[in-house]
Amino acid sequence: MNNYKYEDLKVGMSESFTVTITPEMLDSFKGITGDINPLHNDEDFAKAKGHQGRVAYGMLTASFLSTLAGVYIPGERSLIQQVETKFANPVYIGDELTVKGEIVELVESVQRLELKVVITNQNGKKVLRGKMGILVV
Amino acid sequence: MTREQVFKDLTEIFWDVFDDEDIELTDETTADDIEDWDSLEQINLVVACEKKFNVKFDMKEIQNLKNVGEMVDTILAKVG
Repeated sequence: MNNYKYEDLKVGMSESFTVTITPEMLDSFKGITGDINPLHNDEDFAKAKGHQGRVAYGMLTASFLSTLAGVYIPGERSLIQQVETKFANPVYIGDELTVKGEIVELVESVQRLELKVVITNQNGKKVLRGKMGILVV
Repeated sequence: MTREQVFKDLTEIFWDVFDDEDIELTDETTADDIEDWDSLEQINLVVACEKKFNVKFDMKEIQNLKNVGEMVDTILAKVG
């Protein structure tokens, strides 16, 4: 786990990691949230809607932003204040996602960083775009 | 910059941060008067003010602010 102090951070710094989406992740997410929508849980239903298979929950994809902040940048001192996301393209089981965050602004008075976040799939296609406001505590 | 101008710009910041154009500020307005004015939005207000007025606050200044009037005066002292 990274442990950047506010003083260590610079605009332009970035961190990233990869994660592969598994059926177990979708099932666990359903168990936690109670979202039983068939688009995420019924292969035939999803295919009938024009998808190649079960579509990963957008909020599951977004959940990796928690890891990005809490483990990578700034890591241990992270306190996420706000997250804005757009789900640009569907994510499927087996997709290998690259989760990347880049510091675009630092606000010294409140020790906060603004992170531009992008998640891309194995084909380089953006599946999520957004930004985060994170306190360094 | 006049106090009135700072007050007007600050009001617009409040409208934007709280997404509520019915907010009417006075010098005496405090966090108790605006339902969503919590610690998160306090930070968002500070960040928005720094951008709008091109000023920098320090932590102590922010902690000592008692109401909107003091916020306006602090900004005014920085922008001149």
